[in-house]
Amino acid sequence: MKKLAIGLAATFALALAGGAQAQSKYPEKPITMIVPFAAGGPTDIIARIVGENMSKTLGQQIVIENVAGAGGTTGITRALTATPDGYTIAMGHLGTFSAAPATYPGLKYDPINGMQPIGLAGGTPILIVARKNFEPKDLKEFVAYVKANADKVNEAHAGVGSVSWTTCTLLKGQLGVPKLNAVAYRGTGPALNDLVSGQIDFMCDQIVSVAEQVKADTIKAYAVASAERSPALPNVPTTKEAGLPEYQIEAWNGIAAPKGTPKEVVDRLVAALDKALKDEGVKKRLLDLGTVLPSAEERTPAGFGALIKRDADKLSPTLAAAPK
Amino acid sequence: MSEMIAHLQLGFGVALSLQNIALAFAGCLVGTLIGVLPGVGPIATIAMLLPITFGLDPVGALIMLAGIYYGAQYGGSTTAILVNIPGEATAVVTTLDGHQMAKQGRAGVALGTAALGSFFAGCVATLVIAALGAPLTKLALLFGPAEYFSLMVMGLCFAVVLARGSILKAFCMIMLGLLLSTVGTDLETGQERMTFGFPPLSDGIDFAVLAMGVFGFAEVLRNLENPETRDVVRAKIGRLLPDWNDIKQSIAPVLRGTAIGGTLGILPGNGAVLGPFASYTVEKKLAKDPSRFGRGAIEGVAGPESANNAGAQTAFIPLLTLGIPPNAVMALMVGAMTIHGIIPGPQVMTKNPELFWGMIASMWIGNLMLLIINLPLVGLWVKLLQVPYRLMFPAILIFCCIGIYSVNNQPVDVAFTALFGLFGYILIKLGFEPAPMLLGFVLGKLMEEKLRQALIISRGSFMTFIERPISGGLLAVAVIILVIALLPSISKKRDEVFTE
Amino acid sequence: MSLNKIERAQGLRVRSQQDLAAGLFMILLAIVALVLARDLPMGSLRQIGPGMLPKAFAVICAGLGVLLALSSLRYHGEKLSGWSWRGVIFVLGGAVVFGLTIRGFDLGPIKIPQLGLVVAGPLVVLIAGLAADDRKIKELVIFALVMTTFCALLFKYALGLPIPLAPWLLGI
Repeated sequence: MKKLAIGLAATFALALAGGAQAQSKYPEKPITMIVPFAAGGPTDIIARIVGENMSKTLGQQIVIENVAGAGGTTGITRALTATPDGYTIAMGHLGTFSAAPATYPGLKYDPINGMQPIGLAGGTPILIVARKNFEPKDLKEFVAYVKANADKVNEAHAGVGSVSWTTCTLLKGQLGVPKLNAVAYRGTGPALNDLVSGQIDFMCDQIVSVAEQVKADTIKAYAVASAERSPALPNVPTTKEAGLPEYQIEAWNGIAAPKGTPKEVVDRLVAALDKALKDEGVKKRLLDLGTVLPSAEERTPAGFGALIKRDADKLSPTLAAAPK
Repeated sequence: MSEMIAHLQLGFGVALSLQNIALAFAGCLVGTLIGVLPGVGPIATIAMLLPITFGLDPVGALIMLAGIYYGAQYGGSTTAILVNIPGEATAVVTTLDGHQMAKQGRAGVALGTAALGSFFAGCVATLVIAALGAPLTKLALLFGPAEYFSLMVMGLCFAVVLARGSILKAFCMIMLGLLLSTVGTDLETGQERMTFGFPPLSDGIDFAVLAMGVFGFAEVLRNLENPETRDVVRAKIGRLLPDWNDIKQSIAPVLRGTAIGGTLGILPGNGAVLGPFASYTVEKKLAKDPSRFGRGAIEGVAGPESANNAGAQTAFIPLLTLGIPPNAVMALMVGAMTIHGIIPGPQVMTKNPELFWGMIASMWIGNLMLLIINLPLVGLWVKLLQVPYRLMFPAILIFCCIGIYSVNNQPVDVAFTALFGLFGYILIKLGFEPAPMLLGFVLGKLMEEKLRQALIISRGSFMTFIERPISGGLLAVAVIILVIALLPSISKKRDEVFTE
Repeated sequence: MSLNKIERAQGLRVRSQQDLAAGLFMILLAIVALVLARDLPMGSLRQIGPGMLPKAFAVICAGLGVLLALSSLRYHGEKLSGWSWRGVIFVLGGAVVFGLTIRGFDLGPIKIPQLGLVVAGPLVVLIAGLAADDRKIKELVIFALVMTTFCALLFKYALGLPIPLAPWLLGI
């Protein structure tokens, strides 16, 4: 018993000595990256791919901590209220950074003014997909059909606050049919199942969730809501080509830190992210997911901040007015 | 047929490499060890262990993950039998008779029966997937919201059969479970419901939190009150493995359980969860002496455990053939595959045949590993029961706390579990059995979601549930179950209705 | 004539304390749910609102509670007895303390620092262990330290889970 106590005391003393050293060189202990969704989801996957490479650059492990809840806002709240020392950062997405202020009235963080953006990790194109035998043949017909048959058409989404809900609400707002029948599912999987079996008519979702179904021809895709076609589905036109140029939206994922994080720490993180996105292995894995690699501009805090604000401005009016 | 053999040959060629066998073994072992922690079910286990597979090649990683999955599934049953804590919904039924068997000194027999039954079910399910995977996909597509709602109603009728003692009290528990399931943000409108404005409740009550509270913590409290009963558990170890008599009693339940679980597992939206309940219902109804159930009937372990494992495995069918994950565990598997650069979809079978068939072959290997690992471990698990209870329950508690915390990395979840522990303790004191409540809770969420979906699609017409043939058929079965369950009590004198 | 009939002939009185309490408990829970759900719209059949099912379930719960309470006046049952508050306080208290200390907590004016597993682990084992009648303090203390070390090695190092060990001391 005595020996144990002495041993413990010695360990503690050693640890104290280690902790007392001046915090000169960031990072000198593992960094926590909070992912506000469950392990295995699209955001988690991107965080793990990018985080693994950033760990090598920084010389310290980036530990992914999944803090799921309330459409991702629980985890982001925790990350942004942590000590701004660079040891707690977060991987958020379109929903948590641009849509959340309009979706969750009681939000406890401000992604525009109360946050230090680091950079964009990747964009995920959004597709408008429909059941295989849905009457409209292309996007133009789809727009006309939905407007004319607003009472007959059923849209599916993965729950209020999800990417599919956010992007489809924007689409419905732009088409002038905000009250279209919306069928809510718990997650993309069940919604996709009912789309394949023809129970519902259309949905909007990230390319990674639906690309394989489109390739196998069990559902059809009208358009991709990005500036360029996706290499994963080169035959699907962009919304611009197909006649709905105003519908431009991507479900991106990006890294942010609490406001007040020291500049040299931010610079280290930005450089590590940039290096990760230049790595061939990381690039290949991200491209396999259908991700669009961010431009040099979007990899900077300023560029990422501008993207967050631009999408927030685009989404806020429709989301705030959406029937809830 | 010859095609299937060729495919399986290809698969076993991949899965039987030394590295992959080692990975299957490691996966099963780690999965069992983590899954056996109270309150940590397969979902939490896979989520926790996902990162350790990152360094592997895709086939190896998936084989290891499948091992973790089976291991966690079986580990959950071990906890259910030994300490009466179900790690996830499918293990709730196992607590009913499994833990009773443990109390009678037959823990080893219960664990062995569960392992053997699971192995058999796993073998059959592997063959089913290999032979019929593609055609069975159609079954998943036949189930729209209306069919699903009717299936859930049928499931709730099963719950009545779980009742020990008063049927009225069982009804109370089912409704309470349904009521609890509606807590949290409304899926369709985003409005918060009954959350006291408290943010951690906005995603509703977590199954693990509820189950660990009302089963785990409340069970500890109950045991602390009755030192005699818990010492009985320690005193008797009994036989470690089932004998010929036990096996004879279990064969038919295992066969039926495999068929029931395997069929329900294919359905989208977590049909697998109904398997063990359905199997238990069938066994209790077929038994010559239904009163043995809930008092340590071996059929009540053999049937549901087989159904559980068969369902766990056939749940891969929609994922592998349609690329659509039917439940949370499978959604996690999608994530795991995606991390390794394989996006599950209808084309995996043709584009990556080694992976597809390798994985199917590895399912069988995983089940075999499970048996090899667990039969020797049965002795160890049973020995754990000999730890003095004054040390055992603090250990259960620290594992519970760490497990619950690790699921979402939310400390408040631990406090909630304690609150539900108090709730469970009150329920026990009031003579309620918590098992039907958990079933109501699990089915409630799905039922509400599907009811609302079906009514939006049908534009508010209830006829949709009767007009659609599968849905109508399921509702008819539900009515029949209810009538059969209530008949004995109706035919008796009215005085005894409520205390059957 | 069955026993119950003789009993019934003796008029109404509480024959099962447990059932009466259970019925009242159900009614209480239903009322809480109804109060909490009062502002949620019911919606229509075509578009069921968020309040429809919670209210419906609550009403059924209350109905079953009434039935249960009434039946306690007619049928014999168990008494309410043997509440062990020591177990409730120590066991559940231990878990709550773990939740409060593992990574800190803000309870209005009270701020609990992030103490980590090194503190929260022994605390939960020690506090919970006090609930046992046959507790041995020395044994419990050693057991608490051993369990915490084991859990730290298993979860933090073998499995790499992001559990704070002792951020105030070790920085992790």
